[in-house]
Amino acid sequence: MLERASITVQRGHFVSLVGPSGSGKSSLLRAVIGLQQPLAGAIENEFAPTEVGILFQDDALLPWKTARDNVALGLTFNGVERGQALEQADFWLGRLGLAGFGHRFPRHLSGGQRKRVALAQVLAMAPKLLLMDEPFASLDAIVRARIIQDVAALVERERISVLLVTHDLEEAISLSDVVYLLSQGPRARIIEDYAVPIPRPRDPVRARTHPAFAPLYDKLWSDLSRQVDREQPAEAAE
Amino acid sequence: MNPRLTWLRQLAAFALLLLIWEAAGRAGLLNPLFFPSPSRIGAALVELFADGRIWPHLEATFTAALGGLALGIAVGIVLGVIAALVRAVAELLEPVMTLLNAIPRVILAPLFVIWLGIGLASKVALSFILVAVLIFFTVFSGIRQVDRRLVERIITLGGDRWALVRHVYLPSVAAWILGSLKVAVGFAFTGACVGEFVAASRGLGYLLSFAQSTYNAALMFALILLIMAVVLVIFAAAGRLEKYLLRWS
Repeated sequence: MLERASITVQRGHFVSLVGPSGSGKSSLLRAVIGLQQPLAGAIENEFAPTEVGILFQDDALLPWKTARDNVALGLTFNGVERGQALEQADFWLGRLGLAGFGHRFPRHLSGGQRKRVALAQVLAMAPKLLLMDEPFASLDAIVRARIIQDVAALVERERISVLLVTHDLEEAISLSDVVYLLSQGPRARIIEDYAVPIPRPRDPVRARTHPAFAPLYDKLWSDLSRQVDREQPAEAAE
Repeated sequence: MNPRLTWLRQLAAFALLLLIWEAAGRAGLLNPLFFPSPSRIGAALVELFADGRIWPHLEATFTAALGGLALGIAVGIVLGVIAALVRAVAELLEPVMTLLNAIPRVILAPLFVIWLGIGLASKVALSFILVAVLIFFTVFSGIRQVDRRLVERIITLGGDRWALVRHVYLPSVAAWILGSLKVAVGFAFTGACVGEFVAASRGLGYLLSFAQSTYNAALMFALILLIMAVVLVIFAAAGRLEKYLLRWS
């Protein structure tokens, strides 16, 4: 559970929330998109509900619909005529490197391809704010790096604001403009926020070799370790 | 052993068994009253079709089984959906259905004969009750196990309640029903045949009961073979349908 969080995502900024399990990161995203109510307080969100998209950890595609039907789905919910929605679906699948895979069912796609379909599904809705809840955790390292590169390029070009929840410090720093560090639950709070001084446009894989990367990583890591140690003295003493 | 030739070996073993059976029959080792030889069973089967008297019986059994199947699926879906959505209905229906599920439902056959007569209606009713209980539980438990992540995905994409029903609930329910379609087909024919066996004037079950009362073992074997063939054909059709409609899985 998260207490007293104040997080600002400026337009076009990429913001990450990093923290241990149980700090309420996912609940925060779910509250922003309206899947769950905060126990107290309110979410200030200047985006309309249709301008916010979310990408979950699992791809959650409808197994009985082909890739392009899955991508077109959100568009048809918002009044786009079906034929046009399918055209846009093909366009977005192509943009995510899945041209020619539109007629496959999710079962016949790899984990990385399914993730790309889920991304196309969200991006086709032209969101202004994209929420991502550990979206790449289940992918293996190379597939993951490639998808992260593509996502970074797309959101940078489309000027989409992003709020990413992750366990992974490297991922957070290499992608973000601002990283928020959360403390250990059950009464988690924001420890601090860190600006990432790596210039844009930026390739998240190459960003790891930028001179500012290592010092920031060390700083975040030591702050996070101190937090975890303090909250779990028994485990630290072992 | 080549695994691709499994069917060939099975066929050979079956042919060998028939051959031994036939030979034993001709050698007078088997009492033809109980174990008619394969050639006599074959002759009985041919005779059933040759004089055409099998058709009304086949028609009666098919009508009863398919009628009970269709009714059972329809009512099972409706009750399952309502019970899954309305708590009060679930409270009333679930114990009844659990009870019906626990007992061998064919024991209701004599009751249906008293209520509905020896005609088609009592057989349809027995088929129906066998299928409906199965489908009810399939749908009822299925709806409660719908993948929450898919529901949330539809909601966050801006879908309304109708979109949820159309894109998540209906396809899920259809998948579960197709998954138990083969069992349901088997149940439907069980209901029809048992119903006819208890009391009827037509149908494969009725012919079977007639063969029993006249000690006609060859006819009995022929009928058992015929019923097996009929159910296998329908199984294959159901399997094809399932494979096509569930091609995404």
